[in-house]
Amino acid sequence: MKICKVLKPLVSTNRIPGFGHKHLQVVQDGSAQLVAVDAVGSVPGDWVICVGSSAAREAAGSKEYPSDLTIVGIIDDWDPDAEH
Amino acid sequence: MEINQVVGTLYCTQRIEGLKHCSLQILKDRKGKLLVATDPVGVRPGNWVFTVSGSAGRLAMDDPKTMTDLAIGGIIDVWQPEQVAKPVSSSGDEQPMELKDQAA
Repeated sequence: MKICKVLKPLVSTNRIPGFGHKHLQVVQDGSAQLVAVDAVGSVPGDWVICVGSSAAREAAGSKEYPSDLTIVGIIDDWDPDAEH
Repeated sequence: MEINQVVGTLYCTQRIEGLKHCSLQILKDRKGKLLVATDPVGVRPGNWVFTVSGSAGRLAMDDPKTMTDLAIGGIIDVWQPEQVAKPVSSSGDEQPMELKDQAA
């Protein structure tokens, strides 16, 4: 799973019906900007955990949910530049 | 899911049965690399879209048996790329294509 920072919501009116009305968030993973389905209700500025591959679909709702990256948890506190 | 920009339509008459009659779009990612994705939404060149990859891309299509690993999930309403990757003219056209966003 990845640790990402939530940047802003992604608004996409013209999208496939499979996504339903779930929120999509733009998350930053290092230098890459990705889009994740928000299953926990995160706000911009949160540090979150994102899961990929087939687990992302179940986490987002059902086995047929077309997601390959889903936010599954909000980290309590996280210092990005401290070595852990 | 990644954010890519639509370059144009890919015309591919000779294809396997599994691709059916899906519309194929050429996309450009952050680094300027070209990708091909199936398109259940109906996009225009210049649109910024987010794509679903892997087996979830098959579920994004109307028919989940479509043999794709990358599908367009939707058109982003407003998107400004903060550092635009220099378009690499890999397809032989000399002048770099300047794509402005023609989203309505």
